[in-house]
Amino acid sequence: MLLFARFDAQAAVFQQEQQPAETGDIVLKPTPRSENAVFKKNEQIVYDLRVENNTNQYTTGRISYVITTDAGERVAVDSIQLAIKGSSTRDYVVKIAPRTTGFYRVNFIVNSQNYDDTVRKVFGVDPQEIRSQLHKPADFDAFWKQSREQLEKVAPRYRVLERRDLSTDKKRVYAVEMHSFDNIVVRGWLVIPRDGKKFPVHYRVPGYVVSLKPNMDNDDFIAFDLNVRGNGNSKDVINIGTDNYCLVNVEDKNKYVYRGVYMDCIRGLDFLCSHESLGIDTNKIFVEGGSQGGALALITAALDHRVKLLTMQVPLYADIHDNMAISASYDKQVFPFKVFRHYNSIHPGFTWDKFFSTFDYFDPQNFAPMVKCPVLMGIGLLDQFCPPRCSMALFNHISSDKKEYVCVPNSTHEVDMNYFMFQNLWLREKFRIP
Amino acid sequence: MKKLRLSLFACLFFALILPFNAFAGFPIGKYRDIVVPSFNYYSQTDHYDVFGNYVKGAPGARFSSYSFSLFAGYGISRRLDFLVTVPYLYQVNNLGTGNKTIMTQGAGDLVAGLSYNIGNYNYLRYLSVQISGVAPLYTVAANSTSPLGLGDYGAEIKVMFCGALPTFVADKGYFNTEVAYRRYFNFQGPDQISWLGTVGLPISWHNQVSLDITVFRSSSPNKTFNINFNAERDYAFVKPQLNFGHTFSRRFTLFAGGYYVPYGINTGLGYGGALTAILKL
Repeated sequence: MLLFARFDAQAAVFQQEQQPAETGDIVLKPTPRSENAVFKKNEQIVYDLRVENNTNQYTTGRISYVITTDAGERVAVDSIQLAIKGSSTRDYVVKIAPRTTGFYRVNFIVNSQNYDDTVRKVFGVDPQEIRSQLHKPADFDAFWKQSREQLEKVAPRYRVLERRDLSTDKKRVYAVEMHSFDNIVVRGWLVIPRDGKKFPVHYRVPGYVVSLKPNMDNDDFIAFDLNVRGNGNSKDVINIGTDNYCLVNVEDKNKYVYRGVYMDCIRGLDFLCSHESLGIDTNKIFVEGGSQGGALALITAALDHRVKLLTMQVPLYADIHDNMAISASYDKQVFPFKVFRHYNSIHPGFTWDKFFSTFDYFDPQNFAPMVKCPVLMGIGLLDQFCPPRCSMALFNHISSDKKEYVCVPNSTHEVDMNYFMFQNLWLREKFRIP
Repeated sequence: MKKLRLSLFACLFFALILPFNAFAGFPIGKYRDIVVPSFNYYSQTDHYDVFGNYVKGAPGARFSSYSFSLFAGYGISRRLDFLVTVPYLYQVNNLGTGNKTIMTQGAGDLVAGLSYNIGNYNYLRYLSVQISGVAPLYTVAANSTSPLGLGDYGAEIKVMFCGALPTFVADKGYFNTEVAYRRYFNFQGPDQISWLGTVGLPISWHNQVSLDITVFRSSSPNKTFNINFNAERDYAFVKPQLNFGHTFSRRFTLFAGGYYVPYGINTGLGYGGALTAILKL
């Protein structure tokens, strides 16, 4: 019913640090005046800054705010005098001159006699106007056409096994298995509500090396969760940790793991469309995913128009060139470039040109113009895995004119409850589900 | 995570169990339709006088009303809905043993308007305002009255707040509150203020119960009592109503309800029942 994607099963090593709890002697609580911390180009950027003094002492000092681009280039800095009684709060208004289109980091820094702290926020300016260069290889379309042809040559040999042990009085659970690209077996879970004959489909694709389980939360949809190769119960051939999954054959675009992964997603769609008898409404299939799943969902919708709606959260790998540039400014490297940079450092012959000569075939951004269906995307403004600029660049390349995005200001590599509540309503609106 | 899950349950609940006042403050949804046909029966023999005292009716006297109304709503946008209600009344007014029985029937007052969702709270609770016009679908001769209604045009403004019950009240369930002001364009008014409170709870996957309480006050310099509340101008009452709802499918829910008027001023003391179908198209 409520379509709540989880991509929290990523290995801890790849988890972006969450915002620390607001504790300390002096606590800064900046709140953007604009909804979702998105401002217009000619609009002053305003934050209401609440300062809490958790000590008993009168405290003086300075509060600085440093604004940088999302690639770390400093664009403004200013400060205000801090003077606050013990055990009290004080409100300030921070005004920042209008900025040009893009995303900006704003660090609020408190320095007093005995205490220093920094609170990091991000705001956007007209994100819908962000543009990025497409690095689409000349034979991109031919490459994926050929991949589809290779997939079609693989007999799917579907197996659908009812799992009574997992079924409930409200839903039947099926274990599903099929042969995909390179004849690799991938598996998934199909959950069908019992009270109805025909249902729209929630087709979910996984986050990075995430194991999807039967999705029992959908009451008005058939839920199909596919574990692509190397994920969940589809590890017969590729069974590798999160450190190396995205590096499997990265030096050869024809053998790169994601070629098969993307085709697995199409094979999953083939499965749905060939099993209408199970109550699948093949005219109402929506694909969803978060993180890697967001990228996979977009690519599935781009390559195959049997997908009628696309919802994605924090799509991984989007605008990979700019992602690399932005990630270079991080104090501490995070996924995915933490992994790519490490590989690069230990493989001297593997230049960045070589990397992109493969990855340009897989950058979700290059698929975006092929998406024609309505799209909903959610992003976290504090996300470092998928920088907001890259997600918005991807979004703005989507050719569908029915697309919406939601910015969640205080989220890192995730969206919030409100997003999923809205997504639920959005899906019902688009599919006219009561 | 627990909090999140509870909220998810609330959302889940809403999708399956349609609130009795599904056409109240909940936005219908863009390009969506809702149709609510309902049948109401009301009967009274006694009444309350202008001081709220119980007055027994004449022997054999009884006023009965059978009404059918059709409500339709259309979601113009995510926030804006168009709503219209058309009632059709059939009334039997037995004036008592040995006296005549008056039967009337016809369309009543059409109410049509727009509802705007001012805001939502995490998509769990909604605050909406509704502005409607009232138009009589019957004619009333000069210096006369009609049992079908007051015969005057009017306007109404209503503020509605509804949504999931707070989790400290119940894990599942909904509420709806409405405050409305209606004015009929006549020198006698009336001015009508009403409050409606609804609480609904699921009792099983497809069944629910709900309780409505209506407090209604109609004020006018014309204090004339009429056994037919449709045709009087100055009165007040409190009306609790208990409903049982069964969800047959995702698009169809049927409610059966009963009510009684335990207190009133210058109005009938009666009871009634309603059969209401909610169709989401």
